Amino acid sequence: MRCALAFAALVGWLLAGPLPLRAEPERRVQVRLASFVPEGSIWDKGLRRMGEEWRRDTDGRVTLTVYPGGQQGEEATVVAKMRLGALQAASLTILGLAQIDEGFNVFTVPFFYDSYQELHHVIAALAPDLEGRLEAKGFVLIGWGDAGWLQVFSVKPVSTLPDLKRQKIYAAAGFDRMVQWYKANGFQPRPLAFGDIPQALATGMIEAVPITPVAALFLQWYHAAPYMTEIGLAPLVGATVMTKKTWQALSEADREALRASGARLQEHLRTAVPEQDREAVEEMQRRGLHVSTPSDPAAWRALGDHFAELMRGTYVPESLFDRALAERDALRAAPRAEP
Amino acid sequence: MRSGLRRIEEGFAAAALLVAVLLPLLEIAVRRLWGVGVPGSGPFVQQATLWVGFLGAALAARDGRLLALATASFLPEGPARSAAQTFAAATAATVATLLALASWALVAITRDAGTVVAVGVRTWWLQLVLPVAFALIAIRSVWRLEAPGARALAALGVAAGAALWFGAPAIEGAPAWPGLLLLALAALLGAPLFALLGGAAAWLFLGDGVTPAAIPVETYALSVSPTLPAIPLFTLAGFALAEGRSSERLLRVFRACFGWLPGGTAVVCALVCSLFTAFTGGSGVTIVALGGLLLPALLRDGYRDSFAVGLLTASGSLGILLPPALPLIVYAVVARVPIEDLFLGGLVPAVLMTTLVAAWGMRESLAQHMERPPFRVDEAARALWQAKWELALPVLVLIALLSGWTTAVESAALAAAYALVVQLFVHRDLSPRRDLLRVLAECARVVGSVMLILGVAVGLTGYLVNAQVPAELLDWTRDHVSSRAAFLLGLNGFLLVVGCLMDVFSATVVVVPLIVPLAAHYEIDPIHLGILFLANLELGYLTPPVGLNLFLAAQRFERPLLSVARATLPMLLVLATGVLLITYVPAITTGLLALRASH
Repeated sequence: MRCALAFAALVGWLLAGPLPLRAEPERRVQVRLASFVPEGSIWDKGLRRMGEEWRRDTDGRVTLTVYPGGQQGEEATVVAKMRLGALQAASLTILGLAQIDEGFNVFTVPFFYDSYQELHHVIAALAPDLEGRLEAKGFVLIGWGDAGWLQVFSVKPVSTLPDLKRQKIYAAAGFDRMVQWYKANGFQPRPLAFGDIPQALATGMIEAVPITPVAALFLQWYHAAPYMTEIGLAPLVGATVMTKKTWQALSEADREALRASGARLQEHLRTAVPEQDREAVEEMQRRGLHVSTPSDPAAWRALGDHFAELMRGTYVPESLFDRALAERDALRAAPRAEP
Repeated sequence: MRSGLRRIEEGFAAAALLVAVLLPLLEIAVRRLWGVGVPGSGPFVQQATLWVGFLGAALAARDGRLLALATASFLPEGPARSAAQTFAAATAATVATLLALASWALVAITRDAGTVVAVGVRTWWLQLVLPVAFALIAIRSVWRLEAPGARALAALGVAAGAALWFGAPAIEGAPAWPGLLLLALAALLGAPLFALLGGAAAWLFLGDGVTPAAIPVETYALSVSPTLPAIPLFTLAGFALAEGRSSERLLRVFRACFGWLPGGTAVVCALVCSLFTAFTGGSGVTIVALGGLLLPALLRDGYRDSFAVGLLTASGSLGILLPPALPLIVYAVVARVPIEDLFLGGLVPAVLMTTLVAAWGMRESLAQHMERPPFRVDEAARALWQAKWELALPVLVLIALLSGWTTAVESAALAAAYALVVQLFVHRDLSPRRDLLRVLAECARVVGSVMLILGVAVGLTGYLVNAQVPAELLDWTRDHVSSRAAFLLGLNGFLLVVGCLMDVFSATVVVVPLIVPLAAHYEIDPIHLGILFLANLELGYLTPPVGLNLFLAAQRFERPLLSVARATLPMLLVLATGVLLITYVPAITTGLLALRASH
């Protein structure tokens, strides 16, 4: 019994006893940032350069550690880790951003934007609003980042809308309303997990999948789906966000430095990403990809308008949708006014 | 009262398991007929897997069936043993309490975020199973001790867990080794493995100033990953078959077909063990479940005792490369490679390993000039006919999968439903009223003890990623290892050690993220890497002095550890030949895949 008591005392001491504490080091902020872009890609290099700028411009008070390639988990996991304080920042795509605030779905309406010019115009107009919504949820936006433009890659050629409707198309599992809309409009959606796509393409369970050219090249899906229809389904928008808690621990000057650096990265990506998508298409064409544009653009645009109606007020908050629409149409009208 | 709680838990676990079986089947039907999906089908099946796993873990904790090292059973009865048990229970309670609080933090932020799984079901409702299960495990770790004094002492672990959670900032910067040493000691003295892995992850995170809530985030993400439902589903299929008289029917088929060969009984043992492991998952399970049946059969046929023990100990891990063995599924989930490819890749290596063991059995029989029964066509035909339903199962699964009718998870659901229907209504080995709930709950328990390990091991992986260990390891290896052959040789040695020290599931979760970038650097095919990884681990289980299967066999066959190790040595060398072939001849693994691609 005495032996057991001594043992228990030892256990208690080891488990709950006082632990050696180190002296408090000089107050520094270490930012752990998760991204989903491959290591060594232009986004990854940009983020690392941003980290060097942070260190330089804050005299080493802010250090950035980048975890590329989804090492820290999928977008939902990374958002949860930020909320719990295990991560301080992340470069999210629309998937993660919409998990924080559904307002970001305004960038997912198909055929809504005709060009990067329109997209960037709408982003500039809506940014204060969206950043405010993010901040209300505990996040601060440091910079926007283009991730490319979704195109349709398919097993069989697509030259008209009915061609696409004849092919079984991938739909993200878990977005059931979207699946029902596809179905109601004559498509054959196949809701699947992202990871099931390669196998599903190989066995014919799906025949068409929307993806950016760079990703199609990187993941080598153009082997199984060698027809690309250049219809510009929707942009893939991203943004780098930081938790408000970490942000508030910074001095005003340091925040300015971070924002300025984020803005430089944003500008760099705006020229580099479209260029990269173009190069990816050329590279895949050399390796056997067939690229075509649809012969019935009006039909696609009408479909886009129909989806926009469905998504307004269900996926996208009405106020944001209407602002985006007004801004886009204003820009479309603008060139006529100019000399 | 307590049996009431048990009923409720078992009922929930069984219901979740049935959801995981039925929803994918409904999905297949609805998709074929109307081209749409069932609302939320995928997400709900994934959430059901989380529930099966963690309710199962709580049930396993209640029955003292959480995976643990066998080392504690070597302690003599008496005060030393009860002290060890108390210490182990206190450690388990500490870790489980800490994880319960950390899981609750996850639930709280999910609730605030207001996310929805589908059709209005809130994500946090379903996440609640995590804190509840960890709390039950903490309480049960304490309650399982019988002496009131020991219970009181172990209950201090609950307080310690809470202290670690609420006092987290005070621990930042504390050295890692005292905590890790304590946890390792507890594991050696019989604490469940989840306490070692989860405790290590929590302690390391705390030392780095990162909240231990990072662990349940990973646990949840892994538990609801899209391909993980294949684990409970294939396990259920295996269980339904094992609970009925399917193993007898299959044994009869093998005896009739292969018993006439020289070393026939040894060959049959190798085959049965392979299949049993493939369907029940853990290699240790095979030794425990079949050892008692097969050892007397071998001895009766005149095999030497040491040969028989060695053969069975080695056979216990043969099936881990054979689809649908759980280690293959876990590897596919962790390394993000298609399960189908891994299944196809593992086929020839599994046959190779089984053939090597069988050949060793034939050699023994020829050397000892043993008698053998004649081959009888009528018996073989009758045996095959009787087992037709069981034999059709793999065919059904493969056709459904490869034709594009089903995804991997859906074919697992098909297998589970098929096995249940055959056992309940065709063979009537199981009664729907008497056995169904029991089989489902038993399956949940086994799945739970595995998923608990996976869930905390992935937390440890999260720590390694956070500390940027994979990137550093890659840099170091790039600088120091120049050729692919040298890398593979190093990998052989490293995995042998890992296989000695860790069970297959936590080894996969923790080690695979470390070696995948390395292998990519040396241009090793990802499927080849998966198969050589598991084959090497298999070998580690048999490596003296600490291979896990040696411990299990020593217990099961009631032989001293050393004599089991000696008896297994020839088999170890035979299997090592196979592992080296698999490692250095990639075509053994990738041949079938290349063949499929060329079609």
